[in-house]
Amino acid sequence: MTPTPRPARPRYRHALWLAPLLLAACEGRQSALVPAGEDARILGDLFWVMLIGAVLLWIGMNGLFYWATRRSPAPHSQTLANWLVIIGGILFPTVTLGALLVYGLSIMPDLRATGDGPVIRVTGEQWWWRVEYERADGTTVTTANEIRLPAGVRSTFLLDSKKVIHSFWVPSLGGKMDMFPGRVTEMTLGPERPGIYRGQCAEFCGESHAWMAFEAEVMEPEDFDAWLEAEAADAMPPEGDLAQRGAALFLAQGCGACHAVRGTPAVGRVGPDLTHVGSRHSLAAGRLGTSAEDFVRWVANPGAWKPGAEMPAYAHLSDAQLAAIAAYLEGLE
Amino acid sequence: MDRSDHDRQPHPREDEHEFAEERESLWRITLGPTIWAFHFAISYAAVSVYCFRFERMFEMGWLRAGLIAMTLAMLVAIAWIGWRAFLRWDVRGTGEFSNPEGSAEDRHQFLGHAGFLLALVSFIGVVYDTLPLILLGSCR
Repeated sequence: MTPTPRPARPRYRHALWLAPLLLAACEGRQSALVPAGEDARILGDLFWVMLIGAVLLWIGMNGLFYWATRRSPAPHSQTLANWLVIIGGILFPTVTLGALLVYGLSIMPDLRATGDGPVIRVTGEQWWWRVEYERADGTTVTTANEIRLPAGVRSTFLLDSKKVIHSFWVPSLGGKMDMFPGRVTEMTLGPERPGIYRGQCAEFCGESHAWMAFEAEVMEPEDFDAWLEAEAADAMPPEGDLAQRGAALFLAQGCGACHAVRGTPAVGRVGPDLTHVGSRHSLAAGRLGTSAEDFVRWVANPGAWKPGAEMPAYAHLSDAQLAAIAAYLEGLE
Repeated sequence: MDRSDHDRQPHPREDEHEFAEERESLWRITLGPTIWAFHFAISYAAVSVYCFRFERMFEMGWLRAGLIAMTLAMLVAIAWIGWRAFLRWDVRGTGEFSNPEGSAEDRHQFLGHAGFLLALVSFIGVVYDTLPLILLGSCR
């Protein structure tokens, strides 16, 4: 057997200079480095302080190594060594860690400030989010897989989980918080910049953990109020023949055993509330869009899009029947 | 036992005395870290119990003032222990940092050295423990 020739030196080493382009991936609507809220801004600052500090320390340490091994490799005097230990080993770390501790403690009250805005109860399910807005009059508005927040006020989240541990995280708006079955954790977020951001479950929770996302829309306060008012209302009656047939099929197929569409006989609470599903930005917790085709795809075979999903496939329905159900759901705005 | 070895111990009583002294300073070097441990446990336990039970009954200011007073007393104690250990180390008199000989005097000075460094670490530890008390004024 002939020895394999040594591979030539890679010629694409220069491509390393293009690596900073990867930083472009730090942009976007799910980036902790592009803050859209008070909390994310504080955490972003913390990140940069730590990063720049670490880089400076790294350069300083390597400078010392270079100095000790290349520039001045001869043994140093005892006095110099002693001072190096006293300053570099005791004084510097004590002051640096003390400063970091003071900095860390000083930002904690901001991150834990009490909310002055809406109170939103979010429950982690496998693999979607049950969302309930608690209104001042004591009523609750139930929705799913989407969170809308008014800009400029701190919203309070009461986080819970049904079965396994999840973690609630909207990187653009703030830090994450775990959700435990049977124990309510509380966090507040103060979004500042209106826009649509992306949240993601940040604790492995089963086979479709990666598909457990949601949209978080930050709105102007008056838009938020109007939206919540609309969200509290019952579902719109289906318009047009197709959607009406879809509504009848929805009930005939037993969808209402798991899903609620307020104002209709469908009152199930096993799956997501679908009262206004047509007005959401995504379907199946960030998995699909909300076009009629997306509804068809999902209803026909949820497991294909979200492995392990509890919802059964409705592949036995004809294309026409699926189209009717999709038209009905899409119209639930 | 080798007879010549035996002959080399002219002052058995003195050795005994030195050993007792060493045993005492062996205890003494643990004092700084012990104070630190108590400071940590007392501070955290007091604030936890307060926030769990008594937050609505009285202002946290009293608790903070009490704990900070305790901290100051403990810092003074640690500083005193450290100073005593520093004197025992006697680095200024001997110029000897590491005391590598293993003789009774060396052990004595080494225990001073160790006690001094442990007191230093404990002092810093107590200061770090207290920062949350000073910077965070509430249970949140």
